[in-house]
Amino acid sequence: MKGQFDSTKRIYYVLTCILFLILGARLAYLQLYHQDRYIRESERNRVRSVIVDAPRGQILDRNGRILVDNSPSYSISVVPYEFLKSEGAVALLSTLVREKATDLVSRIRKERIGNFSPVRIKRQVDFRTLSAIEEHILDLPGVFHNVESKRTYPGGVNASHIFGYLGEIASRELKSTGRDKYRPGDNIGKSGVELLYEDYLRGAAGVKYVEVDVLGREVRDLTELNNQPPAPGNDVSLTIDARVQAYLENSMDGKRGAVVVLDPRSGDILAFLSKPDYPPDLFSSPLTPKIWNDLVNSSEHPLYNRASQSLFPPGSTYKLVLAAAGLETGGINLDETVFCPGYYKLGRRPFKCWKKEGHGTVNLLAALKGSCNVFFYKKGLDVGLDNWAKFSRLFHFGQKTGIDLSNESVGVVPDRTYFDRTYGERGWTKGLLLNLSVGQGDLLTTPLQMAYFAMILANEGVAHKPRLLKSVTDPETGAVQEFSSEKVVIEGVSAETYQTIKEGMFSVVNEPGGTGRGARLQGRDACGKTGTAQNPHGESHAWFIGFAPRNKPEIALCVMVENGGGGGAVAAPIAGGVFSTYFENGDLMAVTD
Amino acid sequence: MFLENRIFRHFDFAFLASVLLLIACGLLAIYSATYVGDAPAFQLKFTKQLLWATIGLAVLAVCVTLPLKFFQKYAYVIYSVALALLVVVLVVGTGAGTRRWIALGAVRIQPAEIAKVATLIALARYLGDEHRNLGTLKDILVPLALVSAPLLLVMKQPDLGSALVFLALILPVLHWAGLSGAVLFVILAPLVSLVSASNYYAFLTAMFIISAGLFLLGRGLRFFVFNFVLNIGVGILTPMLWGTLKAYQQNRILTFLGLVTDPHGLGYQVIQSKVAIGSGGVVGKGFLHGTQTHLRFLPEQHTDFIFCVIAEEFGFLGVLLVLSLFLYMLLRGLNIASKVKARFSSVLVFGGTVIFLFQIFVNVGMTIGIMPVTGLPLPFLSYGGSALIANLMIVGLILNAWRKRFDYF
Repeated sequence: MKGQFDSTKRIYYVLTCILFLILGARLAYLQLYHQDRYIRESERNRVRSVIVDAPRGQILDRNGRILVDNSPSYSISVVPYEFLKSEGAVALLSTLVREKATDLVSRIRKERIGNFSPVRIKRQVDFRTLSAIEEHILDLPGVFHNVESKRTYPGGVNASHIFGYLGEIASRELKSTGRDKYRPGDNIGKSGVELLYEDYLRGAAGVKYVEVDVLGREVRDLTELNNQPPAPGNDVSLTIDARVQAYLENSMDGKRGAVVVLDPRSGDILAFLSKPDYPPDLFSSPLTPKIWNDLVNSSEHPLYNRASQSLFPPGSTYKLVLAAAGLETGGINLDETVFCPGYYKLGRRPFKCWKKEGHGTVNLLAALKGSCNVFFYKKGLDVGLDNWAKFSRLFHFGQKTGIDLSNESVGVVPDRTYFDRTYGERGWTKGLLLNLSVGQGDLLTTPLQMAYFAMILANEGVAHKPRLLKSVTDPETGAVQEFSSEKVVIEGVSAETYQTIKEGMFSVVNEPGGTGRGARLQGRDACGKTGTAQNPHGESHAWFIGFAPRNKPEIALCVMVENGGGGGAVAAPIAGGVFSTYFENGDLMAVTD
Repeated sequence: MFLENRIFRHFDFAFLASVLLLIACGLLAIYSATYVGDAPAFQLKFTKQLLWATIGLAVLAVCVTLPLKFFQKYAYVIYSVALALLVVVLVVGTGAGTRRWIALGAVRIQPAEIAKVATLIALARYLGDEHRNLGTLKDILVPLALVSAPLLLVMKQPDLGSALVFLALILPVLHWAGLSGAVLFVILAPLVSLVSASNYYAFLTAMFIISAGLFLLGRGLRFFVFNFVLNIGVGILTPMLWGTLKAYQQNRILTFLGLVTDPHGLGYQVIQSKVAIGSGGVVGKGFLHGTQTHLRFLPEQHTDFIFCVIAEEFGFLGVLLVLSLFLYMLLRGLNIASKVKARFSSVLVFGGTVIFLFQIFVNVGMTIGIMPVTGLPLPFLSYGGSALIANLMIVGLILNAWRKRFDYF
């Protein structure tokens, strides 16, 4: 037995040695004989996978006008392995990009992912720096530039609070999104539509394999490898009408305030602005700390969205709520009159009407037209706080409208519980109710809520959730996904009540003595209500809410000019301009339809 | 110290040392191949392999200390469990387009590797029987069946590389157990004819060698003519049958055999692998400085192409060290197989050595472009827990056999 194993063993001994000789010989052939050839090849043949960013989707207005687009910008990257080896290159590049060499090196060390993946050291390089780098590229091993894209705004509108802006992804965001979708240094929507519809707009990055030479320059695309083209982001069409938006940005220029214009038939936001705003392309270039600090610390708060975040007392526009509550609960009758001497006395305390000489004898319609405070002081007491609060909530005050923008405020609708909590159970008097009756006091609303209210009145009890997103288009397939809004039906207010209120709003704009005649538009029967909200911080806020035409309204709006003065003098003419801009446009559309 | 004495008496320290050195080389190469930065969080694969090596050494210790009789007694039980796992993996297995792994929480085990060891033990049990002389057809058919079952199951996953290990194991082990050279020749000859039939000159050369061999065997004219005609027949029929196949069928067979694969992927891999190895030169580019390695164009560089990393970063000298360690191990294995008294141990040690030899040659051959790309890991060096543990089990059994080389059982 043992002898047999020994002889068989010898065969396998020899076989093993032969196989290893083959391996050894082949390795010697590759590593010793052909060493130079393969070293050359490995120098030349440096395959790199390059992430190809997907073009971000465009943002368009409702008529297909491009509002937000992309344009190329250049960034500089280095391959640490090749770049850091060369002290001359580090010194040269640090001069060219004007950063201290030690800072540059430590930044690269910190941000690198392995020695061979490029690190982006500078974004949005200006053309002079870029050409200087290209000029010296032979002395800058491992340095190369990439073409990236930045946002541009060709639509002629700022709409900064709608669009929002992009920024480099923060490590906190990276943690929640995961590294599959985003890499450090990627851009991500930080606010507005860019943030909200990030998933539509972003697309998916692709990968391509390129051969690079020893200087890190791309020699050729390796198309035979498994390249993955990027999937471009979807285009987002907004409900915004760029013409109305542009008109408003122009007419509100230099003012502080907010305007919300919507289509009461669908909840489409036609225009949405908050002033002061900022040029949206401010965020397309690298933001210097100075610009950022100026934005944040400005007393004008340009980053703040006054249309849906800021809260204001709505002033006399809110008399419409009391009117509806009165008509529904019997607190107000149409033929009932009140005498206005210019003030109302509750106990010994006088409450002034805005018209010092008084409105004389007024009924509801006359009180609406002339915006008589005394009538509504008196009726406020008749209707009572509970009914007033109930109808306020019925018209969705103190609640979010549900617009597709972040950080919407809910506002404040005071009621018995609120006053008890704020002032103590016996610490408040009916005087507070008098303030609420004319839209003053503790009542706070957003301009968006007021526009929403205008839509309810226009539709006589029907609202649609306000929305900015109209449709999403896949640029590759052309597939369009349309979005529609949720319908909200307001129960508990009769058609007669709406008719009466509309009658009053019509007279405000169209009849002599109306406070809102500045919003009048020939042939369109605009309806509205002005407001001049006093506030302790200075000049009154000017308000106007309204819709047009009176029958089958197509447009509803709220204009608010912060510390602007009288609603009739300041806000109503802006609304009138919106109506005329819109209907001019509407006529055009009717023709093309 | 009593226990220590018993275990370490007659212990082959040099064999174990060569294995440990190889594992160390592997860890170094894995560290480099998966290196992305200095933070420990980036060295997940390295840390994992270190853990696997530790577990593997514990398993090795068990295999060294358990009586070999235990393995002999439960050989078929172990074998059946391994087969069952191969069936299970076909049902619940995971992997990219394949079913190779069974996921147990965070750990994934590869049943093919367990089956490798189990089949080896079962073969040793059957062929290690002192009365087996391989004179009957049954004595050959049973080992064939023992190998075929796992072979087919592994192919079904599909995992061609691992399946080939079973195929490569059977003939040498039969030969070792006493199958005569003549029978071996008669079995091998038609295979050579079949493969060489694709090329005219290769076929002529093969026929010449086969004729010479048949003549030298001297079994008479009828034996000679029968086998000669058989081989010529295989050689002529193969291209004819091949021609009747549709192109996609041919492609499918070639792909299955690993001769043609995704031309973009694997051909490119081998070119880059050769560049990596060749550019390593005499002393290599230095640890962590392999440009080919760190550009990550080889998707499997820490598993199947780990040899490239060593060749690129440590050059011909590094390669010589690794190959010398392997060669020492293998020759030592053959030596142990011929020296141990028990037949079971002898077949076991020999079979284990053949498994190593086959995997080493095919894997290294693949990286230098003389073997097809089949996806077989390099023993002790490639990243992968199941393979490392299975290989260390075999090492443990070999060390055990050497320790008890004077025992019959």
